[in-house]
Amino acid sequence: MKLLKIRYIGLIALLITFSAGAFAQTDDVSPQRKQAIDSLALEKVRDLSKYISIIGDKETAYSEANRVMDRAEELFAPDSEMGVSSLTTEEIEYYKVRKYFERLMALNYDKVKISWYDIHYISDLEKQPDGKYVGIVTVYQRFEGSSDDGLNYKDTTKKDITIYVEKKKTQISGRTIEFWDVMLGDIRVTETSS
Amino acid sequence: MLPAQIVQGDGSTSDESELYASTKQVNQFFRRFNGEEDQKGNRFYENDKSFRETSLRKDYITLLFDRENQNISIDQKKSFINDVTDKRNPQFLDFHREGWFAEVNAVFNRDGQQENILLFFKIQQEGKGYEWVLEQVASSYYQEFFDKDEGDEKAFLHPMSHELDFMNLHKSLNQENAVDFTGDDFEVDPLSIFLYEMASKQLQFKTVKNSRFHFFQCEGWYFQITEYNRSGYNSGWLISDLTKLQRQDIPKLKAFIYEAK
Repeated sequence: MKLLKIRYIGLIALLITFSAGAFAQTDDVSPQRKQAIDSLALEKVRDLSKYISIIGDKETAYSEANRVMDRAEELFAPDSEMGVSSLTTEEIEYYKVRKYFERLMALNYDKVKISWYDIHYISDLEKQPDGKYVGIVTVYQRFEGSSDDGLNYKDTTKKDITIYVEKKKTQISGRTIEFWDVMLGDIRVTETSS
Repeated sequence: MLPAQIVQGDGSTSDESELYASTKQVNQFFRRFNGEEDQKGNRFYENDKSFRETSLRKDYITLLFDRENQNISIDQKKSFINDVTDKRNPQFLDFHREGWFAEVNAVFNRDGQQENILLFFKIQQEGKGYEWVLEQVASSYYQEFFDKDEGDEKAFLHPMSHELDFMNLHKSLNQENAVDFTGDDFEVDPLSIFLYEMASKQLQFKTVKNSRFHFFQCEGWYFQITEYNRSGYNSGWLISDLTKLQRQDIPKLKAFIYEAK
């Protein structure tokens, strides 16, 4: 059921993509187009947030968690990594996205609550040498894990999420329509002092 | 994000306002410095009334200093803020312009031992866009090989060595430090050594510890920004060093930074 809802949201995101494409005639990103791309990027980030919450939830069945991990992986460009550091270990540890999700699922708590701050920050978009645009969306996640034996753990992590934005073309009823597509990339995860 | 506002034990949402206050990205440092966004991080564009507005910039830049740093005096901050927001000659930061670079403190493995090397990157136009390119590195490991003896007793190749087919290199290069046989104009190029060591697998990248950024874009000033991960309303990317600087002293300061002294 959760998965169906997210698929529905994904469809809306696609329509937003097309509406952004309606005024996509050049490679430049106007303020209006930037806002449309930001909305699309935020949809993807929201999808990821929901997937993370489901994967981390101890009530989620193993088979469903695996399906959600598949969906979550589809949001990412190939080879994307999570770079994780904590308040005690300054150095970054690297995980492939799938591995990160699997670790999240396997955390040894009886209850896990993952929530998201109602705050985000979206950077400007910069063009890479290959013509794709790249930007960063920053969000904050609250994690609370507890065990029946009284073990409790809480943290807040800052997630700086790479977004790749690319103009693509598709054929609909014989017409070529250009649209802007957003993929997620590497994510830097930092434990904060908040 | 999801509408799951975090409520503290006392019912307040103070840490959320702290997150708004935090300069969360280097990009946000640029926008705040330039007066190009509102307090919620929504971007202003050129046609917006508040775009680069002077009083907004003054307020923002005042908040962009690390308040725990006692080495930057109040007078110096005021002087800097007045200079960069002067209506006759306002100064802005430009992501694509020369005059700023990144310093990345990275960890490498050498023969099973960890070694810190500073990597310096600058933004460069390339293809259809831009990329960060490696401009220099600094390593204390390299430095020890380039301590040149400049004294009267220094080793040398005598001026008739050429008549001997330089056979005396046998003694000189085997017994002395080779750098002592270089000319006055010799300059160490740590980047080339680093590239050679990476290509020959003598060094393997392990991880990044932290990074900071150096700015020379504001005429008459140098400043550095560092990320402060702490609670409160003064966190994120903040000015950690500020100094007045004459144009002719820029190469000297850059060399100082690159040598990581």
